[in-house]
Amino acid sequence: MTEERLNELLDDARRTWPMPPEPDYQAMWGKIEQEAFSGVRKQETRTPSWRVYSIGLAATLVIGIGLGRVSMKEQAAVPTLAAVSTDTTTNTVGAYDRVASDLLGRTVVLLASLPAEARNVGSGERFSNQATELLTSTRLLLDSPAASDVRFKSLLEDLELVLAQIAMLQTGRTRQEIDLITDALEERDVVPRIRSAVARLSRGD
Amino acid sequence: MTHVALAAEASTVPDERFLIARAQQGDRVAARSLYDAHSRRVHRVVFRLCGGDEEMARDFTQDTFIRVFDKLSSFRGESAFATWVHRIAVTVTLNGLRKEKRLKRGADDLDVANDLPALSINVDPDLRAKLRAAIEALPPGSRASVILHDIEGYTHAEIGEMLGIAEGTSKARLFDARSRLRKALAAYAKY
Repeated sequence: MTEERLNELLDDARRTWPMPPEPDYQAMWGKIEQEAFSGVRKQETRTPSWRVYSIGLAATLVIGIGLGRVSMKEQAAVPTLAAVSTDTTTNTVGAYDRVASDLLGRTVVLLASLPAEARNVGSGERFSNQATELLTSTRLLLDSPAASDVRFKSLLEDLELVLAQIAMLQTGRTRQEIDLITDALEERDVVPRIRSAVARLSRGD
Repeated sequence: MTHVALAAEASTVPDERFLIARAQQGDRVAARSLYDAHSRRVHRVVFRLCGGDEEMARDFTQDTFIRVFDKLSSFRGESAFATWVHRIAVTVTLNGLRKEKRLKRGADDLDVANDLPALSINVDPDLRAKLRAAIEALPPGSRASVILHDIEGYTHAEIGEMLGIAEGTSKARLFDARSRLRKALAAYAKY
């Protein structure tokens, strides 16, 4: 189909696309008023927030990665024939797990600094560059065997979306933009899911 | 001050900053006026982004305005209020669709022709239905680009603001979406 014909079809669609049926705007307002002006904000009922999670998670990651490195060195120092012959697949999977752990750790650090970033105009380019770098790693992991786990793949897809939003912030970002991203993080429970993923990776599930 | 009087007063003010300022101070009547002024357009966009799901469109429109009034204190007028509201609407809708993972209609649903209004010239009704089904089968971001630009008539700059992306990215997304549409409709090029 030519571009010209598609333009004709889209012009036609603009004129003929069905209008939505009129909803009960009054009833909708009742709910909006109740939720937005009741004085009891949803935010207050969410405990703890992702920011609190992120601090604990960052600490867990640092300890976990440290322990992982120590134990890897110990394993490497005492190789056995059986281990060498049977653990090739495990090592490959383990390598992906380590990359994933590293990615998740760096992502959490980035996400944790997002609120502060809203107040710090000068570092925008560096911040978005970090997000771009993490976005590239996320996409590589999405195409790797690490993404064969459905839950982990879903988490990576959400991270891809959030990191893409952050990477595009560049200069001229507004508080609203940052707020929308942090809202998306909370709505998708991104940080708690990262924490679960790190726990699964550390258990070797 | 009544809702009608406030709206009338607002109409004498060349912009809605008055209503926004009042609503930011917790004035529900002013908030209601803002809701009345924007809810229909927001609902229409959300309805189309939802692929015509009335229930989702109502819920997402509600959620949009809950979010709008929740965050109104942070609105500084850096963009037009309507753009800010629509940006929240698009974000709420795309996040909601992703969360719900339930799009009622897919590419193979070709019965939508029955819902369509009277024909305009030169387009076969079946092809019109197929185009609509193909648009609704696009990934959420691409579908938003087509609906906002080609159906709702927003500019790339406005879409960029709504989706939080650069203007060039909006153009690239639309280009990609149109390529997908041409591919999806390739078999019907003879129409």
